[in-house]
Amino acid sequence: MLGSTVDPVVFQAGDWAFVLENLDYLAGGLRLTIELTVVSILLGFIAGFPAGAIEVYGNRLWKTPVRILGTIFRGTPLVVILIFAFFVFPIRSAFMAAILGLGLRSAAYQSQIFRGALASVDEGQMEAARAVGMSKFEAIRHVIVPQALRRSMPGFQNEFTIVLKDTSLAITIGFAEFLTRTNDLFQQQTTAVLELFLFASAVYFVLTFTTNRALDRLESTFSIPET
Amino acid sequence: MTETDLLRIDGLQKSYGDEEVLQDISFSMGEGDAYVLIGPSGSGKSTLLRCVNRLTEPDGGAIYLDGVRVNDEEYDVDELRRQVGMVFQDINLFSHLTALENVSIGLEKVAGLDPESAEERAMAELEQVGMADQADSYPAELSGGQQQRVGIARALAMDPKLVLFDEPTSSLDPELTGEVVSVMRDLAKEGMTMLVVTHEMGFARSAATKMLFLEDGHLVEEGPPEQLFDEPATERTAEFLERITEAESAGSL
Repeated sequence: MLGSTVDPVVFQAGDWAFVLENLDYLAGGLRLTIELTVVSILLGFIAGFPAGAIEVYGNRLWKTPVRILGTIFRGTPLVVILIFAFFVFPIRSAFMAAILGLGLRSAAYQSQIFRGALASVDEGQMEAARAVGMSKFEAIRHVIVPQALRRSMPGFQNEFTIVLKDTSLAITIGFAEFLTRTNDLFQQQTTAVLELFLFASAVYFVLTFTTNRALDRLESTFSIPET
Repeated sequence: MTETDLLRIDGLQKSYGDEEVLQDISFSMGEGDAYVLIGPSGSGKSTLLRCVNRLTEPDGGAIYLDGVRVNDEEYDVDELRRQVGMVFQDINLFSHLTALENVSIGLEKVAGLDPESAEERAMAELEQVGMADQADSYPAELSGGQQQRVGIARALAMDPKLVLFDEPTSSLDPELTGEVVSVMRDLAKEGMTMLVVTHEMGFARSAATKMLFLEDGHLVEEGPPEQLFDEPATERTAEFLERITEAESAGSL
């Protein structure tokens, strides 16, 4: 597309005006981006946390399918997952397809964050909990998980940032999120390429920066003194 | 072996692969007994202790608590552990919980007390081990000796019939062992039934009702501390006790 245009790629007041004129349209896309991020991260957590726990504590019957699914979703480009979800499986809503694709891929990554965090809790914690008379499940729930969740915060923060930015790949299935709309506007006025995409980058930056700060605060609120 | 035995171990056997770590161990202890288990490292002391609350599942033999066979497929292992407390070499306090919460969590989640009574009871246990004023500290903020005293309070809170001590002072700096040993000595005096693996011969001499010497998975000798220290029946016992007492006095200089 860039090659087909003869317009010089320089800042022009008219192009900034074009961005401002379409702020409402972009804001609508931004809302969809945020919704997509939140729902996908949630789905990723709901599926990924138990998957990580199964990889640490489960028996082979459970472990094997979880590992295979995780390997598949981690080893496939998100664009391919999205195209499959939308065009191969009968999911006719681009929003639903995007949630499913992003959510399952995130689940595959989150499972590894939680697997690592759960496995990092010292074995003695489990023994001490069992010695008090807790069942294995109670020990995991009351002793292991509270410690593992704290340790998973840095990895989870990373995953949140990745999902937020990867929502932009929903452009491949035509879902009208923030970047898709930015690109729509670019098609309308190709001279505004710098203005539109710089604006989009700034918005993504502000979003990731603020959510990371919020998660930092969450982490320090729940932090405990470590040896 | 009378009906009044609190703990009776009969022909206990445990192997790891080809290595038999416990061979035909039998002994029994009554309520209020404090037994000290000694022996060289690798002799099977810790394994024996861990078999009693089935953190390690024995391969053969029987364990009776209050006359009830507890190492049985039928017997609920969590039920057994509610009656048998354990204090660990690595202490293993729950690192995300304060001293008070470490003691109250079992009362709340296992014994089913409401949070208020659990906290009250936990506080009383911390007082008993002299840790009440550190109730709100996290394990990482406490010294090893303080942590282990909380560990003892955690075990006692569940009103156990028997408390197992697995080398409770071995991970501590020498100057911190005293406070833990003194808590254990008080417990023994109050009549708590205790099975203790330790190299603290001072504790053995002053508080043990019986000492058991274990070597290569065999129970070599058992008897009151005076007997093992002063008139050991076997050469091996004499040698071992001599070595360990020497090491102890060298360390305390």
